[in-house]
Amino acid sequence: MASTEERLRTLVAENLEVDGQPVNVPADLNVSLTDAGVPSMDFVAFAKVIVREFDVPLTPDECADFSTLKDLAAYIDSQAA
Amino acid sequence: MFHVDLAPHATHEARALEWLSPEERVRSGRFLHAGSRRRFTLCRAALRAVLCHRLACNGQQLTFGTSSYGKPFAQVDEVPNPISFNVSHSGSHGLIAVAPHGRLGVDIEERISRDDLGHLSDAVLGPSEKREFALLRGNRRTHFFFRMWTLKEALIKALGVGFSQDPAKFEVPLAVRRGAKTGTLRFPSLPRTDWRVDDLGTKDFAAAVAIEASPRRSLMPSE
Repeated sequence: MASTEERLRTLVAENLEVDGQPVNVPADLNVSLTDAGVPSMDFVAFAKVIVREFDVPLTPDECADFSTLKDLAAYIDSQAA
Repeated sequence: MFHVDLAPHATHEARALEWLSPEERVRSGRFLHAGSRRRFTLCRAALRAVLCHRLACNGQQLTFGTSSYGKPFAQVDEVPNPISFNVSHSGSHGLIAVAPHGRLGVDIEERISRDDLGHLSDAVLGPSEKREFALLRGNRRTHFFFRMWTLKEALIKALGVGFSQDPAKFEVPLAVRRGAKTGTLRFPSLPRTDWRVDDLGTKDFAAAVAIEASPRRSLMPSE
């Protein structure tokens, strides 16, 4: 089964765009969605995707507050533990 | 209100970068995409120009602090200033709102077609707004959604607490939903404060600005 980080990378690629281009995050996920240029409207949409896919509580603000996507993956794993 | 042209322009971007502080240049360099980097750099340089003019200071004197709610405020020679400002950008357009005091929020969105408007509307619109949205099709549906989004985002940014204020828990005034350019409202969570909201949308983008209608006193931004 794919790891949380791999699933998260796939969800980002499938759901987020900047200027019509997919958001290509680095393999180690050491980047925030803010630094990836994701606008607030997409935070609302993406937080809903995360809640649906991983069944964890997550608001758009919380989604934006993670310093890196790696931290978001760790949060998801901690909720599942 | 100031409109910032964010269309690609290498000379403008290089010049704007020179206006930023060392920390802002680092932040600019962190953006993964050239478009995001350009929007941040040009808007921050424009904001610096506007604030330096209003506050009669130079770029070295102007720095930014952050309130306990994460909202930036201006400092001149490290002294907090009550001037209120807010910035938004989308695609090729940026907006900067400035006022002498009072909580202020602005939002701009290029109207792009997206297939998740239904899901987004569930998260963002109140009950009456959802009923009105459901009756619309095509461009009118897109225009309505982006208009409601920018009005609500401007109000939430003015309130300064992010999406901890659930956008679906308050509604844009009926007259504004029906086309009026200006309206006032009160958040259910803050029943004694009036907020004025103005629709600034054009054929190119949806946009709105919101401001605390009658600030009781000139609060320092860090309060």
